[in-house]
Amino acid sequence: MRRFAALLLREERAIFTSSIAYVVVAVFLVIMGYTFTLTLFLSHSPTLVHLFFQIYVLFLLTVPIITMRLVAEERRLRTLELLFTAPVSEVSVIFAKYLASLSLVLVMLALSGAYAITLGILGQPDWGPIWSGYLGLFLLGAALVAIGLMTSSLVSNQIIAALLSLSLFLLLWIIDHFGWLLPDPFDALVVNLSLLVHFTPFATGSIFLSDAGFFISVALLGLFLSVRALGRR
Amino acid sequence: MADCVIVDGLVKRYGWRVAVRGVSFAIGEGEVVGLLGPNGSGKTTILRVLGGYLPATTGTVQIAGIDVAADSLAARSRIGYVAEDAPLYDGMRVGEFLHFMAAIKGVPGYKAHNAVAMAAKQVDLSAVLALPIGRLSRGYRQRVAIAQALLGDPPLLMLDEPTNALDAYQVIAVRKLIRSLAGQRTVLVASHVLGEIERIASRVMILLDGCLLTTDAMREAGHARQLRLRIAGPASEVLRALRQIPSVVAAASEPGEIGDGYLVELAPTQPVSELARALIGQGFALSELTDVKRDLEGVFLNLTRRAGIVEAEAP
Repeated sequence: MRRFAALLLREERAIFTSSIAYVVVAVFLVIMGYTFTLTLFLSHSPTLVHLFFQIYVLFLLTVPIITMRLVAEERRLRTLELLFTAPVSEVSVIFAKYLASLSLVLVMLALSGAYAITLGILGQPDWGPIWSGYLGLFLLGAALVAIGLMTSSLVSNQIIAALLSLSLFLLLWIIDHFGWLLPDPFDALVVNLSLLVHFTPFATGSIFLSDAGFFISVALLGLFLSVRALGRR
Repeated sequence: MADCVIVDGLVKRYGWRVAVRGVSFAIGEGEVVGLLGPNGSGKTTILRVLGGYLPATTGTVQIAGIDVAADSLAARSRIGYVAEDAPLYDGMRVGEFLHFMAAIKGVPGYKAHNAVAMAAKQVDLSAVLALPIGRLSRGYRQRVAIAQALLGDPPLLMLDEPTNALDAYQVIAVRKLIRSLAGQRTVLVASHVLGEIERIASRVMILLDGCLLTTDAMREAGHARQLRLRIAGPASEVLRALRQIPSVVAAASEPGEIGDGYLVELAPTQPVSELARALIGQGFALSELTDVKRDLEGVFLNLTRRAGIVEAEAP
């Protein structure tokens, strides 16, 4: 446990002392603030649905930046050799990196909570969809970070890792558009790979176990493949 | 003396390329052993397999009685490893990094502070503990890498090219440091610098193209007898005649000699007179016959040349 705590602490420090983290959070908050204010003044309705879809898009764009250096940088600098000649397992290294990156996503979500509080002060929002929206965003973030970690584990160049993650995210975003063109039963199969199809119910206040299961499955698959990729030395 | 490292039939392939070809050796407790070989001969690969970083394709490796493939984590907890060019976390401060390494090596929290202080003192790092690693000179980086390897008091210390790209003063300091560790723990040093290995190690293994040519080059230097001959006549005929003499183990033209110089290795118990008699009997004019005191360089050249001849003669 002490070994894992040390790995996690090192990763947390690496993330929260990097300028990239602060730039990402700042850009995220500026865009969110603009969207929140605009939708509030235009719609005059106490809802965060628009905000949730905005965060969904921002996660697709910012998570690759958060995860790109996780393993790729260690591979490039050969510090993996330092780690894996010490008695630590691939699983603990990957899990520490995953939790540290997810904690930054959580910080971003927590800061966006200011908008929900503002809404609560100014009006009387329906809190159910707000809670379900945040749960959906957390699950989406968990899945995206796992995919980002996996692509970072595959290559030794941060930029390539980020582009690979971004491509995968965009593909999983729009894949349902292709799915509708396919014959049965492939249409349902491909449509069900869509991030947006599984996120929309959360954002609009409906929680389905199948949607939660999808994000959890993607996260676990991403972590499993990351461990496998890290074992390939 | 019990063996700290046992390697048996180690083979490592990268795809189709064979990096290590059936290497076997053992290292006793407290020995300081050098692994000498040219760049690309497979030294780093062997160290990485021993360190549990790479899996062996076939063969077994035991560290302090633990099979590295069967229980990699337990084996790794008995190793201190210094990788080539000392890869470190540049953003961390030296003290912070050493505490991190102590934690992942399983040094208990209450002992970590003392362990770090001891390692830092041993490699003379105490003055730079608060500095970021990225701001250190190469010599200090190497010291940090050695200090982290000492944490947890592992019985085996492995160093890959420890004096690579260091200046003369830093080389002397690192060499002195490694020598000071002799006897306290088993040390395996890989290097392509013959002079370094000769100064540091008490036993030298020579590796060429993934094959281990000898597990004790020093002993070969002590036992084999090498002679320098000067014989007039066509080199091909002289070499053929020399190789036909039963007491001759190896014969080759002397490197750097354009004329009629030859280096001949005799079987340990064979008299020199028999060689001289055989040559004169075949009508060769023998003008010089002197003993060559062989050093590690001679053994290295001789073994690698012999391996080259065997390879060239292979169908």
